[in-house]
Amino acid sequence: MSSLLKVENVHTHIGQYHILQGVSFEAKAGEVSVLLGRNGAGKTTTLKTIMGLTPATSGAITFEDEAITKNPTHRIASNGIGYVPEDQGIFGALTVEENLKVAMRKDDDSAKERQEYVLNLFPDLKKYWKKDGGHLSGGQKQMLSMARAFVNESKLLLIDEPSKGLAPVVIEKVMEAINEMKKQTTIILVEQNFIMASRIGDTYTLIDDGETVQSGQMSDLVQNEELKRKYLGIG
Amino acid sequence: MELIINLLINGLATGMLIFLLAAGLTLIFGLMDVLNFAHGGLFAWGAFSGVWFYGLTNSFTIAIIGAIVTGIVLGFITEKLIITPVYGNHIQQILITLGFMIVLSEMLKVVFGPNQIAAKTPPLLSGSWELGEVIIIKYRLFIIIVGFVIFGIFQFILKRTKIGLIVRAGVMNKEMVQALGINIKQVFLYVFMVGAALAALGGVLMAPYSGVIYAEMGMEFAILAFIVVVIGGMGSFPGSLLAAILVGLAGSFMAYYVPALSLAVNMMLMAIVLIFRPQGLFTVKG
Amino acid sequence: MKSKFQVNNGVLLVLVAALAVFPFVSDSRTWTILLTQIFIFSILAMSYDILLGYTGIVSFGHAMFFGMGAYTTAIMLNKFEASLGVFFFSIAIGMIIAGIISFLVGLLTLRLKSHFFAMLTLAVSGLFLVLAEKWRTLTHGNDGFTFRAPELFKDRVMFYLLVLICLVLVYFFLRRFVSSPLGRVLIAVRENEQRTKSLGYKTLHYKVIASVVAGIVASLAGSLYAVSLRFVNTSVLTMDITLDALLMTIIGGVGTLIGPIIGAGVIELAQHYLSGLAKEHPIFERWIIFFGIIYILAVIFFPRGIVGTIRYAFWKRKNKDVSVVLNTSKVKEVAK
Repeated sequence: MSSLLKVENVHTHIGQYHILQGVSFEAKAGEVSVLLGRNGAGKTTTLKTIMGLTPATSGAITFEDEAITKNPTHRIASNGIGYVPEDQGIFGALTVEENLKVAMRKDDDSAKERQEYVLNLFPDLKKYWKKDGGHLSGGQKQMLSMARAFVNESKLLLIDEPSKGLAPVVIEKVMEAINEMKKQTTIILVEQNFIMASRIGDTYTLIDDGETVQSGQMSDLVQNEELKRKYLGIG
Repeated sequence: MELIINLLINGLATGMLIFLLAAGLTLIFGLMDVLNFAHGGLFAWGAFSGVWFYGLTNSFTIAIIGAIVTGIVLGFITEKLIITPVYGNHIQQILITLGFMIVLSEMLKVVFGPNQIAAKTPPLLSGSWELGEVIIIKYRLFIIIVGFVIFGIFQFILKRTKIGLIVRAGVMNKEMVQALGINIKQVFLYVFMVGAALAALGGVLMAPYSGVIYAEMGMEFAILAFIVVVIGGMGSFPGSLLAAILVGLAGSFMAYYVPALSLAVNMMLMAIVLIFRPQGLFTVKG
Repeated sequence: MKSKFQVNNGVLLVLVAALAVFPFVSDSRTWTILLTQIFIFSILAMSYDILLGYTGIVSFGHAMFFGMGAYTTAIMLNKFEASLGVFFFSIAIGMIIAGIISFLVGLLTLRLKSHFFAMLTLAVSGLFLVLAEKWRTLTHGNDGFTFRAPELFKDRVMFYLLVLICLVLVYFFLRRFVSSPLGRVLIAVRENEQRTKSLGYKTLHYKVIASVVAGIVASLAGSLYAVSLRFVNTSVLTMDITLDALLMTIIGGVGTLIGPIIGAGVIELAQHYLSGLAKEHPIFERWIIFFGIIYILAVIFFPRGIVGTIRYAFWKRKNKDVSVVLNTSKVKEVAK
């Protein structure tokens, strides 16, 4: 399979701080790539750098064989990358409907069909259609954020810690949805919960202190006790 | 009773003019964290260009359109030349917009002369109605109506249209809006131009109301607008209307009952709000 | 390393000596008055530099402290006798008032973000302006009042020398202040307030100290200004005074102390000549436009100002191959 997104030796500075110090990995089309690593290792910054929110100071990011390293965020997004941030980024004073409307780039019949399809993935959202985003529960916000990123037929989804702070039942629902979206798109997932990550991930990339340590097939990592102990503190 | 009604009308009319200035200021701040200290300059340019157009054509409609166009053009220039180069650096931004304020008001003196200029009320709107004891000055009522109409139009745009949704979403979380594929800088430019147009409209409406216009009126009104923006909550459009009416009414009643304190009251109001509730009375973010 | 950046003390001494003998060599009254004016505004601009250049605070209300000094001295000389004793006493009182007010205002406002702080200082100084306009029994409002200066200052040269002495003293005092450990913390606040805070410094305290020092020095400038005119009105409290300080500091070079002095010189001289040109073409009556434009260009292209740009050029030549992350090292220095 060809690689949809390629990150090569990316460095990112935020203010005076050198956060990413050489991150490289690939996301192959149709797969779920999981970024793993300790808190503060640079996983979230990696996603933000791909989105252009914290632009890379050096290195190269290629999406569908096109360099997007220096592109502004809105162009990266409209090229077909959807983003679900760690804090979900819900517009609190807008309703569920309006949150989706802001995201939708088209307003024709196919867009409506797409919206229907996405809402079927997250049936709860229909129930709260006219409710303000700020009044949703954590799980509902997560669903809305994923629906919003998916509503434009994104070719690639970046999802940052979807299970964070959610109850196990809700996590199950979120995981189901991700498994469903996986059939249609490519996903890069940041996930602290290793059990979850190993269940849906195809490949993994380990990041430590802002640097890629290792990448490979998820099935290999599951058996590699030493790697897990050293970088994830488990096993 | 008639006194109270008159003070109410005065206060509302002044409040509406401040609102026109504050509305742009609050959206510009909410969207991009830009506090435009030159906003009062756009107000003054609206007043001067409007009076000039009125003198030229004798049509108040053309005067208003002329002022709005002036505002849009100046807004475009300000955003491109002054705001964009220092985007993201608050200190430079404060310094440069203040510098541009000076340039704008000195340019007024170069173009229109250093003295204050008299402004006439258009005949259709001059005079007053007498309802029993109460005398209602037509022009003031006109300002109040315009203010509410503008508020209604913008409220509709903000609530019901896609661009309005984007602006409101941008005020709440601009990173996320960009991550959804929206070029927020473009949106910001439009908002800035519309804000400038509203300020200029406020200026041209102000002219017949006060009878004279002068370059310093920009800064005077801008201070009131800052107060309103702080009290109403940065980025809150309805908040700016309510706070503007509050400031307008406080001003008109104080000017009558305790004239020495009229300006001081508003500033103290702002100081209290800033110290105890710096996010303003209406919060948008968070 | 530092001594290379600082203006050489020897050069300064020669300059001061030259300025001290100047009125005895030249008998141009205009020049004596103009230089006096430049010195006074240098003091004001340096005090502003403590805020803007060293602590990274934009205040739009600095005129209020200038005005406090001006009014205190004018009122005291007017109400009591026009003696040297009263004059110096009034300066001290003005400084105390300015110190107390800047302390209170700073305590309440400096915790706010830059935008709000700038706005609030604008409003507070507006309040003082209104107060001065309404309290006519004391200030005579906008009309102002004239008063008699101490006998000694009838001689313009004596006053010139006094102001020069004040300027030199203030310069050395402020230079001391900014290079003290306390001053280093202020610079750290300017570079990165969050980080300085996380190093355990109560940044609010330091910012308040900076604003008190700046307020006191500005009050001294105001006192001298009032005596130089033998007249005071509410114009000493207006935004124009703050703008002057701002222009001088920016154009001269923020965070350099010597820059604001040069800025004051450039602006006062240019103002003098440009308003002289008004007879040739009326556009020169609006000379401030040129400053506004230069100032905007300076903020965008030369944020270091005249002195800062020159120093940076020297520094770059000397440190061609050294790439230093200035900010971090400074904060670390402070942390030790």
